[in-house]
Amino acid sequence: MEQLLAALFQLFEPTHLAFLFAGTLLGLIVGILPGMGGTSGLALVLPFVFTMEPSHALAMMIGVLAPTTTSDTFPAVLMGVPGTAGSQATVMDGFPLSKKGMAARALSAAFSASLLGGIFGAFILSISIYYAIPIIMAFGFGEQFLLVVLALLMVGALTGDNLFKGIASCFLGLIIGSIGTAPITGDPRYTFNTLYLLEGVPLVVVGLGLFAIPEIVGLLDSKGSIAKSLNTKKGWFTGLKDVVKNWFLVLRCSTLGCLVGALPGLGGTVVDWIAYSHLKQTTKDTSQFGKGDIRGVIAPESANNAKEGGALIPTLIFGIPGSGNKVLLLGGFVLIGIEPGLDMVTTNLDLTYLMIWSLAIANILGAGICMGFSSQISKFTLVPYYILAPVMVCLIFFATFNINRDWYDFIGLLSFGIIGITFKNFGWSRPALLIGFFLSSKVELLSYQTQAVYGLSFLSRPVSIILIILCLATIVLLTKQKFDSNYRSDLIKGKLTQIYYIIILLCLPLSMIWFTSSLDYRANLFPISLSVIALSLLVFILIVKIADLKNLSFLNNTFMRFARSNIFEISGNFNNQLFYYFSFIGFLLMNFIFGFPIAAAIFINIFILFHNRKAYVSSICISAVLMVILWSLSSLLTLQFPNGLIGLFIDLPWWLGGQLN
Amino acid sequence: MSLFSFVSIGNADVNFAGKTVTWVVPFKEGGGTSRFARFIQPFLKKYLPGNPDVQIMHIPGGGAIKGSNYFEKNAKADGTFIFGCSTSVIVNVATGNPLVKYNLSEYRPVVLLPQNTHWFTRSDLAEPHDLSKIKERKLVLYALKTPASADLFHIWIYEKLGIKGAKPIPGLSSSGGYQAFLRGEIHLSSHGAANYVKKVKPEIEKGKVVDLMTLGIIGADGSVSRNPLAPNAPTFPEMYEKVNGKKLEGDDLEAYYAIGAAWSQASKAMMLPADASDEIVKAYRDAAIKMTNDPEFKAKAVKALGPFPLIIGEEAGEIIKKAAVFSDTTKNQLNAALKKHKFTYRVQ
Repeated sequence: MEQLLAALFQLFEPTHLAFLFAGTLLGLIVGILPGMGGTSGLALVLPFVFTMEPSHALAMMIGVLAPTTTSDTFPAVLMGVPGTAGSQATVMDGFPLSKKGMAARALSAAFSASLLGGIFGAFILSISIYYAIPIIMAFGFGEQFLLVVLALLMVGALTGDNLFKGIASCFLGLIIGSIGTAPITGDPRYTFNTLYLLEGVPLVVVGLGLFAIPEIVGLLDSKGSIAKSLNTKKGWFTGLKDVVKNWFLVLRCSTLGCLVGALPGLGGTVVDWIAYSHLKQTTKDTSQFGKGDIRGVIAPESANNAKEGGALIPTLIFGIPGSGNKVLLLGGFVLIGIEPGLDMVTTNLDLTYLMIWSLAIANILGAGICMGFSSQISKFTLVPYYILAPVMVCLIFFATFNINRDWYDFIGLLSFGIIGITFKNFGWSRPALLIGFFLSSKVELLSYQTQAVYGLSFLSRPVSIILIILCLATIVLLTKQKFDSNYRSDLIKGKLTQIYYIIILLCLPLSMIWFTSSLDYRANLFPISLSVIALSLLVFILIVKIADLKNLSFLNNTFMRFARSNIFEISGNFNNQLFYYFSFIGFLLMNFIFGFPIAAAIFINIFILFHNRKAYVSSICISAVLMVILWSLSSLLTLQFPNGLIGLFIDLPWWLGGQLN
Repeated sequence: MSLFSFVSIGNADVNFAGKTVTWVVPFKEGGGTSRFARFIQPFLKKYLPGNPDVQIMHIPGGGAIKGSNYFEKNAKADGTFIFGCSTSVIVNVATGNPLVKYNLSEYRPVVLLPQNTHWFTRSDLAEPHDLSKIKERKLVLYALKTPASADLFHIWIYEKLGIKGAKPIPGLSSSGGYQAFLRGEIHLSSHGAANYVKKVKPEIEKGKVVDLMTLGIIGADGSVSRNPLAPNAPTFPEMYEKVNGKKLEGDDLEAYYAIGAAWSQASKAMMLPADASDEIVKAYRDAAIKMTNDPEFKAKAVKALGPFPLIIGEEAGEIIKKAAVFSDTTKNQLNAALKKHKFTYRVQ
C-alpha cells in the first residue's frame, strides 16, 4: 500500500508527468488517425525510449497505449471509419447518431464511458497484482507452454476473417520468428550468413512494417471519406446523462473488456464486438440498434478502454502479450531492461504501480483533452491524408533508422510493409502474424523446457486441464458470436491474384525446410514442424479458394461452408496501394543518395504537390516544421540521421545527415 | 594561462580540453555494462585532463559483436574512444566466434570491475555448503541460456564437481531460471552478486534456500579467497578439493583461472584501443585512481557497482589476456564437457 502511494507521488514529479503527457498526446493523435492504433504509436516511440530512465519510459509508453481507444471515437462517430480496430463496433451506432446531428452526444457518451472503463481496468489490474505471486508459482513450464499455445490458437481463430487463414497467419509468424540463432544449439537458421538476421528482425521494424505502412497506404487510397462539416457543439450534457443512466451497462461491459483483455493474445480487434453483441443479447428493444442507439456507443467504448488494464495482467506476470500492442510494450521492457514475471510483483513492484497509475491518469487526461478540445481535435479529421501521409512516412523512417542505425532495417521495414499491405487487403491476420512472430522463441524454448522437466505429464496437471477447457470454450463461444460481415464471395474481384499470393506464401515454409534440413535435429525440429503445419494449412486454403473460384460442388456441406466463409477478401484498391508503396521505395532511394534531412524535405514537398499543386505554402511549412522538430529531438537525444552517398563526398553538418561530433 | 599548463604538467602531451570522448557500449541501454558506464561517466569527465565531455554510444546487436566490431573499425587511438567490455564480449573472443573482428587481447584496459558467482539450492535438497546429496540424485536440472555464452562455464563446473545427474535446461535467463528454481522445477541455480543480495539472501533467511559455494575471488598472485557476501560458503577450489580429494591443479587450475578471469575478474571493463599510446593509457589510469579516491565515488560505489574493488593498472592487462586467449587444454576441457552433454556447439 505504501508503495502504491509512493508510485503515485513519483508520477506527479514534473518530469514523469511531462513524459506521460507527451505519450498521451501522441496516443490521442494515433488514435484519431484511422487504422493507426497503439501498435503503430508504440513502434514509433520505442526507438527513443531506451535513452530514457525506465520509469519515464514506462510512463510514456503507457501514455501512448491508454488513450488510443478514447480518441478513436472521433473518426468512428464523425466519419464512420474506426480510428483503431477497437472501435469498429462504435461505428454501428455512433455514425448514425452523428448523421442525425447528435455527434456531440455520441462523443461525450463515448468519452465518459471510455474514462470509466479505463479506470475500471486499472483498478482490476491493481487488485490482480496482489494475487500474482501464487499464480506465477502455479504456472510452471508446462502451464506456460499451454498458455502460449492457446493464446496463439485464440488469436489465429478470432482475429482473422477466416479461421484457417487466421491460424495460418499465426504459423507464418512463428516461422518468421524462428529465423536467427537456434536457442538450443546456437546454429544460425535461415540467416544466409548475415549478421543482420542472426538476432532475427527487430520487433519494432516488424510492428511498423505490418501496421503503420499498410494503414498509411490504405488512407491514401481511401481519399474520399473526409468529413464535410462537423457539428459537435450541442448535446454534451445529454451524453453524460446517458452514461449515468446506463451505469450498469458500463460496469458489465468494463468487466467483459477486462476479462477478454486478460485472455492472452486476445484484445483489440474482438473486444468491441463482444461488448456490442452482449448489449444486443441483454436488451429487449433492439429496434434502434444500427440506427443510432446511444447504448451502442457506450458498450464498446467502455469495454475497449477496460481491456488495456486486463491485457496488462498476462503481459506483466508471464511476459505473454495480452493483446497485439502489448507485444510492442514487451519489446519496450526489453529495451529498458526489465523482465516480466516474478520481478514485476516483487523487486520491481514500484514500476508496476507506476504503470497502473499511469494507465489511470492517462485515461483521465485523454478523456479530458478529448472533451475539452473536441471542436479543435475534430478538425484534425479534416486534414487531407496526402498531407498526413508523407509526414508519417518520414517519422517512420526516422524511428526505424534509430533502432540500430542500420540500413538493413529499411529493407526489413519495406518487406514487412508489403507483407502487411497484402495481409490487410487479402484478409489475413496481421495481429496473429505479429504475436506469432513475437512468441516464436518462447514457444520453442518452453517446449524444450517442458519436455526436459515433465515429459508429457504436464498435460494432466490441474492448471493445464483448466487452461485447455477455458481455451476451447472461448473459441467455441466467440466463433459463434462473431459478427456476421455480410460476406458475398461473388462481389470480390481479382480472386486469381489471391490464389497466386498463396503460392508465394508457400515459399516461406518450403525454403525454411530446405535451408534448415541439414542442421542438428534440436535446431531444426521446431522450424520444420511449424513449416509442415503451415504448408498443410496453406494447401488446404488454396484448395478451398480454387473450389470457391470454380464453384465446385463439394463446398456444400457444413464444414466446407465454414471453411469457405471470407476465404477471399479485398479492401480498397490494391494497385493504388502498391503505387503509394513504391513511392516509399523512392523515398528510401533518396535517403540513400542525399541522406535523411534533404530526402525528407524533398519527399514531403513532392508528395503534397503531386496531390495538390496549389498547396506549396503548406508543403514548405510542413516540411520545415517537421525538420525543426526532428532536429531538436536529435540534439536532445543524440540521435543521428541516416546519411546518404553524398555525405561520403561532402563533409555535411550533422543536421543535414553528417556525422555527430 | 600559466596556471593551466602547470596543472597538466604530469601529462604534458595529453589534454582533452574541448574534445568529446565516445564510450562505445556494445549493449543496449539499461544493461549492466551500460549502468557501469553511466556510473563512471561523470567521474571520468571530472578527472581526465581537460575535462572532456563523455558520451555513451550504445550499439547493441549480434550478441555484442556488432558494437565491438564497430569499435575496432572506428576507434581513434588518441584517447577520444573508449570501449565498454563485459564477460560476453570476452567470451565471444575466447570461444573463437568467427564473426569477431576485434582484437580484444591487445586492447589497453583502464579499469576492471570484478563480479562473483554464487551457487545455491533448495534447503530440502541439500545441507548448506554440501554437495553430497546433490551428487546422489539421478537428475539435477539447471538453467543454461545458451552454450555459446558464459553459461558454458556452468557445464564445466558441474562436470569437475562430479555431479553426474546435471542436465542443462536451455534458454533460461538467470531471472527466468531463478523463477523456475523457486517453483521447484530446477534444482541448482546461480546468481551474480547483485541479484544474490537482492533476491537470494531473503530466501536463505527464510530457510528455503541454502548456499552451496561461490566462484571465489582470485587475487593478483593467483590465491583464491572467499566471497565477503557469503563468507561461510566454500570457493570452487575448496569444493573441488573436498569432492575430488585432491587440490585443484594442473589443467583444471589453468581452466579455472581462465574462466575466473573472463567470468569474474573482468566482468565489466573500460578499455582503450590497442594502439593507444602509453601517455594516454597513463592519463586514463591516473584519472581512474583519482576517481576511486573521490568521496562521492566511495559513497556510491558499493551500491552501484558491488562490493569488489576495481582493478586498475598493468594487472588488468594480464587478466584480459588470460580471459580472452584460452589455451588449447582449456578449450579441450570445455569441449569435452560440451560433447558429454550432446551440444553441437564447440569452442574454436
